[in-house]
Amino acid sequence: MTIDEQQPALVVTKLVKSFGNNHVLSGVSLRVTRGEVCVLIGPSGGGKTTFLRCLNGLEDFQQGQIEVAGVTLSANLQPDKRGPLLEHVRRRVGMVFQQFNLFPHRTALGNVIEAPMHVLGQSRQAAVEQAKVLLARVGLEDKLDHMPDMLSGGQQQRVAIARALAMKPEVMLFDEPTSALDPRMAAEVESVIADLAASGQTMIVVTHSLRLARRAAHTLHVFENGQLVESGEPEQIFNAPQQDATRRFLFEAEGK
Amino acid sequence: MRPKAWIVGLLLAPLLAHAALGDTLADVHRRGQLLWGADSEGGGPYVYPNPADPRQMTGFEAELAGLLAADLGVQARFVQGPWQNLPALLGTGQIDVVLNGYELTPARAGRMEHTRPYYIYQLALLGRRDNPRLTSWKDLDKSPGGEPKLKIGVLEASGAHTYLSQHYADKVEIVVYEGTTDAMREVETGKLDATLADLPAVIFYRHRFAALTQIGEPVGKGYYVMFVRQGEQALRDALDRSIDHLLADSRLQSLYEKYGLWSESQTELTLLSGRSDAELGIEATNLRGWAAIRSRGGLLLEAAGMTILLACVSMPLAMLLGLLVALGRMYGPAPLRWAMIAYIEVLRGTPLMLQLFVIFFLLPEIGFPIPSFYAAVAGLAINYSAYEAEIYRAGLQAVPRGQMEAAVALGMPLGMALRRIIIPQAARIVVPPITNDFIAMFKDTSVCSVITVMELTKQYSVQRNDTGATLELAALTALLYLLMSIPLSRLATVLERRFARQPRAAA
Repeated sequence: MTIDEQQPALVVTKLVKSFGNNHVLSGVSLRVTRGEVCVLIGPSGGGKTTFLRCLNGLEDFQQGQIEVAGVTLSANLQPDKRGPLLEHVRRRVGMVFQQFNLFPHRTALGNVIEAPMHVLGQSRQAAVEQAKVLLARVGLEDKLDHMPDMLSGGQQQRVAIARALAMKPEVMLFDEPTSALDPRMAAEVESVIADLAASGQTMIVVTHSLRLARRAAHTLHVFENGQLVESGEPEQIFNAPQQDATRRFLFEAEGK
Repeated sequence: MRPKAWIVGLLLAPLLAHAALGDTLADVHRRGQLLWGADSEGGGPYVYPNPADPRQMTGFEAELAGLLAADLGVQARFVQGPWQNLPALLGTGQIDVVLNGYELTPARAGRMEHTRPYYIYQLALLGRRDNPRLTSWKDLDKSPGGEPKLKIGVLEASGAHTYLSQHYADKVEIVVYEGTTDAMREVETGKLDATLADLPAVIFYRHRFAALTQIGEPVGKGYYVMFVRQGEQALRDALDRSIDHLLADSRLQSLYEKYGLWSESQTELTLLSGRSDAELGIEATNLRGWAAIRSRGGLLLEAAGMTILLACVSMPLAMLLGLLVALGRMYGPAPLRWAMIAYIEVLRGTPLMLQLFVIFFLLPEIGFPIPSFYAAVAGLAINYSAYEAEIYRAGLQAVPRGQMEAAVALGMPLGMALRRIIIPQAARIVVPPITNDFIAMFKDTSVCSVITVMELTKQYSVQRNDTGATLELAALTALLYLLMSIPLSRLATVLERRFARQPRAAA
């Protein structure tokens, strides 16, 4: 595995987010290089998902900044600049949600061609060709014309991954992509994510699945109480955790 | 069949019982009061609130009623009713006599008993001083030649209405009002070119409208008579005798002189005692049953076309406007959100009729005259947009939050996300309530009659008053409304089925 240390895909500096007195993120910094697969783990309520949602502007934040896709998102953007800047970022940063969020009024193919055609202005033909390749890559080449409610959860999540990939994102964000799935379907989605990780796609994955973390991660980050408590390679984190918080989390997670 | 006949009998019993009473003159003497029906709204110089004491009625007919009652040895008691519905009021037995500038017409003579004439009226055309298109009666005959037809306002079901329909139906646009002064005001604001009204009303009101002037000579001589219920010859004869008394000792002449209504032509009145209908120049007609439907069905059908047009133009506008209001309320900046909430609350919280009045009668006062059809469409569209906006809001809020997040996470701007992702999903939710409102709107168009739009309910009212065929025309009108709403209900079912989430297998 080669990670180009010289080219950061994403740099987060001292990110602070709070709801009133409740500090959800208290100064988190993180650097993701191109091609790096970065997995965020930690107990629920630790701030992982909120952190991820800040990266493409689904949440705002009070302090710090995010450098991504050639621009810098800072805490106090003018409202008139914020919109276009976020659209720029979101076109280059894909996201996969825990609840899939497929568009229920579009077929699987329709979901995948929607953004390339209407956001990027691709021709229908080009978008459809690309979508077929992507749906084949996630193993759904025979489900092109199915409506989402005719697909299983695992199939829906794989369509959602194809939909995000259709934008050729510089960075892919996964927000607990297997949490809403039963073990068999979770396994099939994990395979797709692991394949994607192996292909050199830059990814940030929030997950409770230690199996996925072991299988795909180049770097593991442990979140607790709005702070990044430990970072390292999976081997090191799993075998020789440095922090009590990490040990506590691993004990509880593996104890299940 | 038998139980049905029994029910019909029960329903008709009060009517029959009433008809059987028969002797209203005896009732009048027994209770010591003559109940006379008239409309005091814009009613000068006939009957109007006394400026010194607005609870008392004055006017030449109010005084005439007093004189007649005195001659009969009883008191006169005024009963207020809408002018065009006084015959209906008479039919219910709540008044003894209609005494309110009612012209003797064949249709009225056919359904009620009438007294001898008590006044000889003429019609006067009232226009604007500065209107070059209308300076004499001849201008009504000119072909418009590209310009819109002259618009002439008349009181619904009045002699002026009949006169214009008979002589100028194809040449001018007749606009029907429920009050004489409403039409005069509309001439002043420029919405109408003129109004044709009975000379007494024109004499009484013209000084209030400085911009108006009488055009040409009065036309269309006719008679005011009083009406009593069919079969009430005793009451009619008593009233006839009293009118003769008032004429014989010149009390009637003094009364008319007091109101500036006496002229040489009124001397003919003394010659009109005991004249038959034929001698008065009319032939009583009684249009009922199928004849009424055959004769007036076409007009009702035409008016149903107006109802359909109003609803079909207004509803899409209401839906579009409502969508913009809902989006403004949900996604706009704070000031816009507050403005949209106020818009919805004001429109839902005030009556549609009031909103139509504001658009049609008040906007011209500040310099924005709007033709009645457009005012009706605007009123309906604006009123309904508030309701549609709330339906859309409910629909939009029913779309899961994650849909918007997924859309913007793909780089869609807000507008595109709404248009392509959120609104199509909300659409299936809002189809049933919006179709429901569409059906309701067909019936709400009837309110537009207050701003002179001749839609189905208004036409029914006009034709019912003209013929007396209340039941037949009401049935036809109801049938026409049903025929409009049933296809809509069908359409709603089809749309719901189409929008319903149907699992679709591979194509």
